[in-house]
Amino acid sequence: MTEAAPVYAGVAELQRVARELLEVGDVRVIIGWEDARRGARPVFVSDPADTDKLIFDTRCVHNLVTYLNPRRDHVAELGKIGLVVKGCDVKAVAGLLREQQIDRDHVVLIGVRCGGVLEENELPAALALTPENVAPRCYGCDNREPSLTDHLVGEPQPEPPRPVMTIDERVAALDDLPAEERWAFWTEQFNKCVRCYACRQVCPLCICERCIVEKTQPQWIESAAHPRGNLSWNVTRAIHLAGRCVDCGECERFCPVGIPLSLVNRKLQQIVHDRYDYTVSDDPENAAPIGDYRLDDQQEFIK
Amino acid sequence: MSDRLFISDADLHGLAGDLIGAGTEVVAPVATDICQSPSAIAATACTLDGSKVDIDYRALASADEMDLSRGLPQLSLKGYFLPEHEALCRWKQRGITVEVEDVPTEFAPRVVLAAKPCDSAALAVVDQVMNWDYEDELWNGRREATTIVNLTCPMIDDSCFCTAVATGPDDVKGADGLLTPVDGGYVFEPATDKGRALAEAHKARFSSHVEADTLGRQADDERAAARSRVAANLEIDAASVRAWIDTHFEDPLLSQLAIRCNGCGACASVCPTCHCFDIVDEEEGVGRGTRRRCWDTCQAPTFTLHASGHNPRDDQHVRYRQRINHKFAIYPLKFGEVLCTGCGRCTRVCHAGQDLIEILQAIDIAARRPGDATAEPEEAAS
Repeated sequence: MTEAAPVYAGVAELQRVARELLEVGDVRVIIGWEDARRGARPVFVSDPADTDKLIFDTRCVHNLVTYLNPRRDHVAELGKIGLVVKGCDVKAVAGLLREQQIDRDHVVLIGVRCGGVLEENELPAALALTPENVAPRCYGCDNREPSLTDHLVGEPQPEPPRPVMTIDERVAALDDLPAEERWAFWTEQFNKCVRCYACRQVCPLCICERCIVEKTQPQWIESAAHPRGNLSWNVTRAIHLAGRCVDCGECERFCPVGIPLSLVNRKLQQIVHDRYDYTVSDDPENAAPIGDYRLDDQQEFIK
Repeated sequence: MSDRLFISDADLHGLAGDLIGAGTEVVAPVATDICQSPSAIAATACTLDGSKVDIDYRALASADEMDLSRGLPQLSLKGYFLPEHEALCRWKQRGITVEVEDVPTEFAPRVVLAAKPCDSAALAVVDQVMNWDYEDELWNGRREATTIVNLTCPMIDDSCFCTAVATGPDDVKGADGLLTPVDGGYVFEPATDKGRALAEAHKARFSSHVEADTLGRQADDERAAARSRVAANLEIDAASVRAWIDTHFEDPLLSQLAIRCNGCGACASVCPTCHCFDIVDEEEGVGRGTRRRCWDTCQAPTFTLHASGHNPRDDQHVRYRQRINHKFAIYPLKFGEVLCTGCGRCTRVCHAGQDLIEILQAIDIAARRPGDATAEPEEAAS
């Protein structure tokens, strides 16, 4: 049996910081996590008295940075945001800053020291992390102490456990397959796609004013969920996030048909790392290859 | 009660086998342990406890594949009547002449076994819009060609609420008959001529001897128990909910309830009643192509984007309001029934925690509030 997670000592501090920010008027709304009927979920708190709803535990999986997307007008209308972030979430904030999507002084970041989260948020109570239940992306986390924050709460946390099989190991297992089998694997996975675009909507870095899949003159990507349309959509989505994806795994978690998008994303991260010596980080100054040109960029593919 | 038949578990599988053998397509829930397939690497769950069962409605290759354990298929039956994408016609153009090739609108007979009552009921609800100002031949053709047999549902979990939206876990709405598990098999109750014809054509598989006070009562008890289990999840006054939504278009409650929605549209994909589609022309080389319809959703910003650039639903809370409004006010006002059968898939699939049970409860409470607080501020009384 999996044990309950130890109580996160920083919750009282988190609630106090949030309450003070709202009382002083530094922010108009705090976006954090709350406990609801089906488990932990995002919550928007604008009344200081409601800050006791805020929680932090191993179920707080949702990357709330997606609500900072400049195209979310109904969130922006609420006024200045105080956002609760884990260390990994900060990478998405850094991504938005790097690409000039938000102004740093338009958001107050409340960092929570995090020792990893579960794969699933829909649980009645937080569980202690085990190799069986930990979100695989937490393995090797180098952001347990969030950077870029205005407030930092909680005690330093231990390293998350190593999952039974890491994402890199799964990518390696796919790489080991002969090309035809790998093709068959991805064909089967992408064939499941129903083109709801949940992957795009929850991605904190999918920030295009108009997504290429919505451009119809000409129609670059067919919108029908047939193998041709699905392959072009899924490959285009992944490539557009190469060197930008922060590996929060929200695309995969929200996919209603269970396509393992984090395996595609990780593979592209590896390629970007190998070719451009670039790793997505929480440093907003560190320009991504997709938006950067260097004289020594590899270009042997240009014939 | 003379309409009640008994079919053993073996005979139900035998029936499926007979149909498949005769060349009839049989669709039923199929459970796949994806960890036992080459796709295991796709599911992190497989690296965890080594088993992840996906249940889907599938065309059976053999009767053994049929899963009667009564879990909820990931996607509803909708796709068997309104596929994710389908050709409407093909065209060829040469100079100024255009040749249009129609697609067939007649379909081979097909049988669905062990359908979820919420999924068959959804088809009956959607029948109305598909036959409103235009009769959709493709939808109707598939509906006519298909015989649907429901299986009484035990209730999936606390996100089920079929009984709150005028259906139930033992409903035959939209279906041709109902199976209810009893000792050693199922009681089969045909509900339409198609259902009776199925039993008649496979007489040997059924027994007409159902003792009212044993098997009959067992089936009744099972059905009543399932109904009361689901009823405990949600109780609303649908008429007041409809009236409240209809008269509170600008109420802040609706935007508050939508605040965490990411607009991902997964809810519409898994919904058995969401039926909106987009029509696209796919060119396949020069001068020829296919006109195709594809699932679409009111949660997508482009759904209402006008050619002028104006978008009347330009923000997510407004699009979410449309979802609630269409299901619980617009559709019932037009067609007399809500566009929801309480399967709960939208809630289960939403990892941001948009919870339709909670939302309907909140609207129900607002609708029952005497005098409505927003209409009569307290100051007026003092």
